[in-house]
Amino acid sequence: MEKRSQDVDNNNFEKAIEAAHLTKIYHSNIRAVDDVSFAVQPGEIFGLLGPNGAGKTTIIKMIVTLSSATSGILRVFGIDSSKSPETVRSMLGYVPQSISVDTDLTGYENLLIFSKLSYVNKKERNARIKDALEYMGLTDRAKDLVKHYSGGMMRRLEIAQALVNRPRILLLDEPSIGLDPASKMHVWESIKQLKQKFGTTILITTHDMGEADELCDRIAIMSDGKLAVLGSPAELKKSVGGDVITVNLTLAYPSITFPKEIGTIMHSNEKSAQILTENGEAAIPLVSNFFRDQKITIESISINRPNLDDVFMKYAKRRLHDEISSHATTARRDFVRHIR
Amino acid sequence: MNIGRFLSSSVTVAEMEARKIRHDTTELWIRIVQPALWLIIFGVTFNSIKAMPTGSFSYIQFITPGILAQSVLFIAIFYGITVVWERDVGIITKLLSTPSPRASIVLGKSLSASLRGLFQAVMIFALALALGVKIRLDPLDILGVFVVVILFAMCFSSLSMLLASFMKTRDRMMGIGQALTMPLFFASNAIYPISVMPVWLQYVSKVNPLSYVVDAMRSMLLSGSYENLPIDIFALLIATVTFVTLASITIKRLLE
Repeated sequence: MEKRSQDVDNNNFEKAIEAAHLTKIYHSNIRAVDDVSFAVQPGEIFGLLGPNGAGKTTIIKMIVTLSSATSGILRVFGIDSSKSPETVRSMLGYVPQSISVDTDLTGYENLLIFSKLSYVNKKERNARIKDALEYMGLTDRAKDLVKHYSGGMMRRLEIAQALVNRPRILLLDEPSIGLDPASKMHVWESIKQLKQKFGTTILITTHDMGEADELCDRIAIMSDGKLAVLGSPAELKKSVGGDVITVNLTLAYPSITFPKEIGTIMHSNEKSAQILTENGEAAIPLVSNFFRDQKITIESISINRPNLDDVFMKYAKRRLHDEISSHATTARRDFVRHIR
Repeated sequence: MNIGRFLSSSVTVAEMEARKIRHDTTELWIRIVQPALWLIIFGVTFNSIKAMPTGSFSYIQFITPGILAQSVLFIAIFYGITVVWERDVGIITKLLSTPSPRASIVLGKSLSASLRGLFQAVMIFALALALGVKIRLDPLDILGVFVVVILFAMCFSSLSMLLASFMKTRDRMMGIGQALTMPLFFASNAIYPISVMPVWLQYVSKVNPLSYVVDAMRSMLLSGSYENLPIDIFALLIATVTFVTLASITIKRLLE
């Protein structure tokens, strides 16, 4: 009784997922996740973005209780995941990065077995499986072994599992990786459907900015195990500020040092540069003069409002000049390779 | 913990395996080859030269329960390889992220090994009958043998999963499996009586779990004297519970 009244008290400000000072250290010195705090609101689609090795998957694994945090607190609807892992898992659905359906079973059997393991009500089970297969366009192939499915169909089957099990929170790790545009749209639609129809809270990791912009209510960008920035896509775009000037060069130039007064270079390679400026129109003549003085021919020049790619570049930029951090990144990559 | 849910999850994991076997039975049939060779070639040959002091039973009678135990041991001890493979294709991740308790997943997996063991037992019975080997065909005895097969497969497959959580790769598990099966097999009473062994090996044989399993099966299939049976089954039960519990705690390591 005591517990119940406590739950009711928490309901008003209860968060779907709450991470406080979450840290995961591998091999005694690699900080895969480094003092990360964030909260996911019930019913929102929350995007976790960042380059490979930024710690996104590690965070998801900690939420699903497949990996335990070195320090920090993780709560799912107010329940401490280190104390009651099974209760936490009963609220979660997880679609890992790599295909995880059982290819030696049929599509129907995959849904059946995992709905049983998730304790879906026996009376509703078959109707839900039928609906999910239909909705994901898999009814015709339900009795075929999954090993004969295409990659897109396997992904759809995984989303179908979420439709059958109806978790309160769905964790999707790179859901559209390797999918053709049509399958990707289909997956996006079903993710939105889950949110609208069942109020499912969704946490999604991706490095596809289009996907993040399309789906997410809020986005957190991670870099080197740390949370770099958090906000809605619109807020984040606004936070980049000003305009982005993209300059393409006719020939490759190994290194260009750029005067600070024009703007800051967000991203550059030998044949192009993206420059963030306060006022794009005013900066274009300065940019073109600069290149003319350097005797570098410009192929094209364009001006854009910042998009999520620019946000990503600004916040997730690898600090290559920072010796310690780049060293840590290499170590982490080696580790990732090692466990694969 | 909810016992009903726990058991239903274990049965579901075994059901998953049963469905896979139903889709492709090749592996089951191939696994029959080795015990068949032991019985048909080794058994029949040694039976005719009467080199072994097997008491009132013929050698082929003596060896039949031994070969049954050995073939179940082979299935169970290499079960960790299957689990490592399932880890590699993401199935273990998926299973461990369901609300089902981890011990129920491990228990279900060990039941899956038992399913294969049971099929093996049925086939060896059929083979023995075809070869005209006289075994007791009392239904209760047969049932008893099935119970021992189930427990034995659960015991060693959970030991194998326990080892797999630390070994983590298929190659290592292959090596471990081989390093374990042969000593267990040869230092047991499976294919010759303990009395013909050198004294030091007799001591090894006394702590070898396979000896107890073979002993239990022999008492039901051949002699019909059950005085050791309760101890045999109790020891097997304790070992199974221990290994399933330990493997449930360690299995998460497979994913790290």
